Amino acid sequence: MLNVLIIGVGQCGNRILDAINKEAFGGGRFSKYYSSQKFASRVETIAINTAINDLKEMRNTKAKDRIHIPNLHGLGANRILGKKCFNDNKDLIMRNISERGDFDVAFVISSSSGGTGSSFSPPLVKELKEIYDFPVYSIMVLPFREEGTIYLQNSAFSIKEMRQSGSDGMILADNQYLKNAGSNIQSAYDGINKMIAERILFLLEALDSEMMLVTDLGDFKTVMSGGDGIATIGYAKGDAKTPIRTTIRESISPNGLLFSSNVYEEASRAMIILRGDQKYLSIDDISAEIDKLSSHIGHVFKGVIIRNGETPKVLSVLTLESTVELEKLYALAVEAIHIEKDKRKRVALQNETDTTFSMIDGLEPEY
Amino acid sequence: MKKNHILVTIILFLVIFFLSIGSVNAEIINSEQIDKGDGYQINNYVMHLTSTIIMGEIYPGIDFYGLQSDGTNINLKEYVKTTKKTDGTMSIVFEKGTEKINIEVQNATSSYVIIDIQTTGITVEYKTPVDGGISNAKYIGEPNLILTKSVDKTSVDVGEVIRVTIKAKNTGNGVAKRINIDRGLTPDFTFKSDIYTSYPTELDVSNKETEMFIYEIQATKAGTFQLGPAIATYYSSVFDDEYTSKSESLTITVAEEPIETSEIKLSVSTDKTKLKRGDTVKFKVNVENLKDVTASNIRIEPIIPKNLTYVSGSEEIDIINEKPIIQVSSYGGYYKAEYLLTFKADQIGNDNLIVKWTYNNGVEEISDNTTSEMVFISQGDFDFLAQFPIYVYITPIIIILALAGWFYWRSRQFRI
Repeated sequence: MLNVLIIGVGQCGNRILDAINKEAFGGGRFSKYYSSQKFASRVETIAINTAINDLKEMRNTKAKDRIHIPNLHGLGANRILGKKCFNDNKDLIMRNISERGDFDVAFVISSSSGGTGSSFSPPLVKELKEIYDFPVYSIMVLPFREEGTIYLQNSAFSIKEMRQSGSDGMILADNQYLKNAGSNIQSAYDGINKMIAERILFLLEALDSEMMLVTDLGDFKTVMSGGDGIATIGYAKGDAKTPIRTTIRESISPNGLLFSSNVYEEASRAMIILRGDQKYLSIDDISAEIDKLSSHIGHVFKGVIIRNGETPKVLSVLTLESTVELEKLYALAVEAIHIEKDKRKRVALQNETDTTFSMIDGLEPEY
Repeated sequence: MKKNHILVTIILFLVIFFLSIGSVNAEIINSEQIDKGDGYQINNYVMHLTSTIIMGEIYPGIDFYGLQSDGTNINLKEYVKTTKKTDGTMSIVFEKGTEKINIEVQNATSSYVIIDIQTTGITVEYKTPVDGGISNAKYIGEPNLILTKSVDKTSVDVGEVIRVTIKAKNTGNGVAKRINIDRGLTPDFTFKSDIYTSYPTELDVSNKETEMFIYEIQATKAGTFQLGPAIATYYSSVFDDEYTSKSESLTITVAEEPIETSEIKLSVSTDKTKLKRGDTVKFKVNVENLKDVTASNIRIEPIIPKNLTYVSGSEEIDIINEKPIIQVSSYGGYYKAEYLLTFKADQIGNDNLIVKWTYNNGVEEISDNTTSEMVFISQGDFDFLAQFPIYVYITPIIIILALAGWFYWRSRQFRI
């Protein structure tokens, strides 16, 4: 049995972690009261946040698994403050992690754009990698592009720092790409969180289950070590009438991926896990479709989990050699940084507010 | 000679005249015609006309009889018999003690005689021709009046008028004559008026009662009083004896004049007669003083039925010894009041609400009670639960508590 550590950092990471715990309980509103979590492995979850209200919002993560980093009411998306705050409190965090025992793998989930998540997760990964020898993978959620210049520049620096932190791989999920998951922003967030949670749970199950065709943590490491250290996850749900090949293709199509990518052009390695009733899972069809994918991107690991009576579901993990979408993001981030710089310069030059205030210099109010 | 004859006649006439003036016991009956087979009766003396054939010629005869009573039967005693003399004269003289009857036949034929009758020493109370003669003669004896006095009511109120009727019947064997009646008026009543006073002064023997007096009297004061008997005095026809008869006394009760008092009427109604255990039922007590007289010290006490529990009531209701009681110092004339009492049905069964009330009506303490309609209490909606053993309730409660505890414990785990 694998020992898995999942850490959700910041508001986004906390919510995804809470969604993972909720799905592990069964997904119902009251499941946590009567059900135990159905992780295939021993899974420890830790939520870290500087904002106590974000921690209080969590419904399915136990109180003991929530670490509040006292820093007033959050960091205000300021990564400089965030990194300082992490350094001030990393002993508290690392001690909590060490008390949880030994792990075989860790996932650090956070937003790339916010305050706590984007600033805590790279140094956290770095600390983990320095102390432990188990692989640490980060799951980073990219912001809506219209959320603002600060978020864009935070994302750019955070992703860069994550790559430099020693992370064994970075799985990207893009809110911009997934924003059609809900009818409004809140339901879109909830939908995105649920999508990411389902995929991570599926992945954990694939790494620690008896399978007809076996994939394990080693395979996952191999996949994640390929490409440019950036990965994404695809998912598709079939039905009794849909051929399994179609479902596999659906999982690596734009509709199934968490991050926009042309798999056949950008992917480096892949791992395809299928789960469902054996009658839906034709090995020949699966092999044919995997072979087809292999011919484009290179090595593809495949695993099959038999679940009697269950319609087929496909999870695909893909590492990318290059990402056009990430380049676009960085271009926007650079533009955003320049905009912010220009604003500061203009403000410094004009200083109109001070001029306005100076009009009453030397005067006193008369009553 | 003729002068002497006339003188004798005059002297005789004068003698008879003076005798008749000097004594009421003399009477003359002239020229009375009696047919053959008939007779004439004076008191209990009867003259019966017969006929006798002498030498082929018919001579009328007169037989003289006396009617006598031995207490049981009437007997005939023959005194004198005579027939017409051949010289054509016929006279009969009957004497008994001082009584004397002289009959002179003025004319006699074979079918009738015309006679003059003169009596002396006899008070003639009864004289009459008698068809059939001796066979139809009637014994003249003692009268006996039975007086009855009756009233139309024996129980009256003060001021009420009573009609009194006095009747009489003669149960003797002689005519009652010169009847005089004392009505027996009593001072306890006021004579009001006569209705009928024309009673006969003579009553023949008869079984039929004759109304003698009808009059009205008025009760003047309360009590029980005797109406004095009616008393009749009367005389026999023949012997002129005086008799007295008396009616029964009557008892009349005159009630006290009623004193006006109050009268409280109370009724109880209910808003429903069928209810389930646990339901409430309202009883409405309507009280009314029916008279224009104040009632005092009113106390109304509902008797709580065994299957009901008193819950609440009108503000006038006091709780005394855990019982709802209404106590009011007085109700004015024609006063009306309404009280509401709410009860809860505790037990299954049937019940009435009995309401007792007491009050002083101005004269005395009055107690009464009334009863409501029957109220039927059936099983409550959840009564069936009580039929189960205790573990049926304890088990789910324990489970619920355990679940609540579990949920609390779990929620604490997820709350910071």
